[in-house]
Amino acid sequence: MIKQMKMSRLWIIKLTLIVFLAAIISLAGYQLYTHRHFQVPLITGPGVTKVVKLSEYSPGIKGTMADTNVFFLEGSEEGGKILILANTHANEPAALLTALLFIENAVVDKGTMIIIPMFNNSAGRNTRPGDGYPLYFEIPTKWGSKKFRMGNRDASPLDQWPDPDVYVHYPDKQLLSFLDVRNTNRTWPGRAKGPLMERVTFGAMEIMRKENVDIAIDIHGAETMFPVTNCIVAPEKSMRIAVMTTLTVKSREHFDSHVEPSPSGFRGLSHREIGDYADTFPFLLEAPIPFLDQPTGPKTVDLLLDGKDPFLLSLSKKGKLFVPYDEEGWSMEKRVGQHCSVTLEIMSQYSKKNPDRTIRISSVPRYADVLKNGVGYYYHDPNKTDKKNIIYN
Amino acid sequence: METQIGIILAVMVFAYALAKWRNFSIELSMLFAAVAGGAAGALYNTPPPGQIFRHLVEGSFTYLDVILVFSTATIFMAIVSESGGVNYVVRSIIKHFYNIRFIALLLLMIIILIPGALTGAGSVSLLVVGAPVALALGYLGIDKRRVAAILFIVAGLSAAAPPVNIWAMILSAGTAIPYVGFELPLGIPVLLLGIFTVLFLGWKNEGTLDKQKVLEDMPEVPEKMSWWRVLLPFLVFFGLVVAYRIWPFATPIFGLALEFSIAGLVALLVSPKKIHILKLSSETMKRLLPLLATMVVVGMLQQIMTATGVRGLLSFAVISTPLVLLFIALIFIIPISEGVLTYGGAAIIGIPLIWFLDSIGLHATVAIAGLSLLWPLGDGLPPTALIGRLSVMVSGYKGTYWTFLKKTWVPWVVITIVGILMVLFSARLDFLVKWSM
Repeated sequence: MIKQMKMSRLWIIKLTLIVFLAAIISLAGYQLYTHRHFQVPLITGPGVTKVVKLSEYSPGIKGTMADTNVFFLEGSEEGGKILILANTHANEPAALLTALLFIENAVVDKGTMIIIPMFNNSAGRNTRPGDGYPLYFEIPTKWGSKKFRMGNRDASPLDQWPDPDVYVHYPDKQLLSFLDVRNTNRTWPGRAKGPLMERVTFGAMEIMRKENVDIAIDIHGAETMFPVTNCIVAPEKSMRIAVMTTLTVKSREHFDSHVEPSPSGFRGLSHREIGDYADTFPFLLEAPIPFLDQPTGPKTVDLLLDGKDPFLLSLSKKGKLFVPYDEEGWSMEKRVGQHCSVTLEIMSQYSKKNPDRTIRISSVPRYADVLKNGVGYYYHDPNKTDKKNIIYN
Repeated sequence: METQIGIILAVMVFAYALAKWRNFSIELSMLFAAVAGGAAGALYNTPPPGQIFRHLVEGSFTYLDVILVFSTATIFMAIVSESGGVNYVVRSIIKHFYNIRFIALLLLMIIILIPGALTGAGSVSLLVVGAPVALALGYLGIDKRRVAAILFIVAGLSAAAPPVNIWAMILSAGTAIPYVGFELPLGIPVLLLGIFTVLFLGWKNEGTLDKQKVLEDMPEVPEKMSWWRVLLPFLVFFGLVVAYRIWPFATPIFGLALEFSIAGLVALLVSPKKIHILKLSSETMKRLLPLLATMVVVGMLQQIMTATGVRGLLSFAVISTPLVLLFIALIFIIPISEGVLTYGGAAIIGIPLIWFLDSIGLHATVAIAGLSLLWPLGDGLPPTALIGRLSVMVSGYKGTYWTFLKKTWVPWVVITIVGILMVLFSARLDFLVKWSM
């Protein structure tokens, strides 16, 4: 009798735990599902002339979460062409915010600007298990706030899985970490029928080859403890323009963004493979993002946006960071402002050297403007925008 | 903020200690620590209260792939064992090499090294070849405690061995250093340390049986068992692994879990005796459950530690340690971080550490190789003790876990010294990287 009572008590405990567990999983599952399917309204500004899908250049991604929007901003005059890639790593959001700032505001007078704001679309809908990221962040604007998904560095395993035990880079056969098979800054130049993320980078390569793109800028963020941060990474062919850009922004706009050479022995990176497999001049921009550093306090939205952290401040005083860091942190405005100015300056320097391939745009703020007004100042209210000018991504 | 994070850490430690005191398992104790940490963090809105369950569930997926590999590899090996293949291999090793001890030990070491070197997981070595090697070592007159110690150290070295070293890959990926040039900086120390370990722990023959008696005592092997029946499933597995290396652009990506499943299916088809696969799989998974639960809970713990800032605090403590003290501390910090966070330790501590070592003029590739000799040692430390627990399990050692671990101290110290020296003299050892490329 006692044994039976103990058994039934055990069953009650087990059943209660199962019900409790099911409730937790359902709640968390709903939150994660909503995050994956959350749509960000992207507003096409006065310069946008057409929006196509990346699958038009890489049919292998059609109908998958990897497919993404490509915005064309074509000037009235013919000139050079620039491709801007953002969210290659979807946990470095200053890139996306910069790209949207261009899409919503830029007016192209001469040449063409092509922008892929959510390049690794799958990663933008992924989370980072083990790393405790928030699911969303919001940028304050004049009309409220604009909400974004916080993504991951790698594409979602829901879209590309399984991983190999080691990733063999195409076409150099260099061995890379198994995770890099889902990292769109390791899968360049890509293949039409390779793993999904190789098809994504292949699509961008096809844009560059078919549209005769002159410049490609891949926008990123990097830890303050990472030596390759706050810089322009450039291969040999882009080096001169990168150096001129660095010197110009330093003297005219008073911020640092030094030049780092693209290592020739490290394959799969945009700044290496684009230059080797297309006539395009590649640049990769890095701005410090304290949120990604390991020795920080809680991974909060505040840390993501203002970049203020007491541990990093202490390490800075001990000389262990690779960028100047003080009580002001490293705000989103600073990062986005830097990206805007450096991008505009690269275009300007390229145009000076190649007048027949000039790219001239206006209405995009520079570093000081973004610092003064904030990033959200340049975003438009979707509720007051003509629906045909809104693309959901 | 330091006080806030300190309080959360204290709550987590207290919850863990309380659960252990109430005789809960390691897995449940860690789960309590994670939940308590999340709840304490929620008081400061780090994470927001509405996000605690999401963090716990999301964190539980951190090691999903590893869990799948463990499960499929263990079922594969269970099929091989049930078919009589394991006993067949052990019998053959004893028959041919019983009296040539050095070669027998060397061969057994290489057998353990291969699966881990190819997959980057020492646990795979133990799951695939651990049981037959343990039996063979036993018949060579090595007691089960020393067998478990040999398996643990060599399986750990197999995970560090090239071509696939997951710690080095995580560090390379996180520090933007190409995963190239690791063959000699990893291969040479792994081989030398492996040979030292099997000779130190396995040279002494404590057995009293002669070869004939040993062969008579060994379990019967099914009559139709043959070398091709044993080897074919392994050939299929390694064939699939190697095929992707040789023809990476023509071979589909199967992933280790599917490769083990295919090999298991082949083992089932060529088995000379009928195997009840559902019953066998169910029993195997029951045996594996504590290990899998550990992986699930470690992921949850890691996620909560990051969301609350506890992980950052620990990482900060390591990075801000003075240089000389840091090198001494690494001896303890690296294995302990592996014991608590498994591969997460490499990301949390290793990435900023490598950037720092690189900035003071040390050679990053050799330093990564040196450190990655130390990480597998932590796989013997609680709370996870992944390889340690598997070593005890496959060797059949019945003593306490700590008595097993004590037996590993000499190879442990030697490996630690070699690893630290590699980091310290990495700039002078850079020729190993050049020769590898």
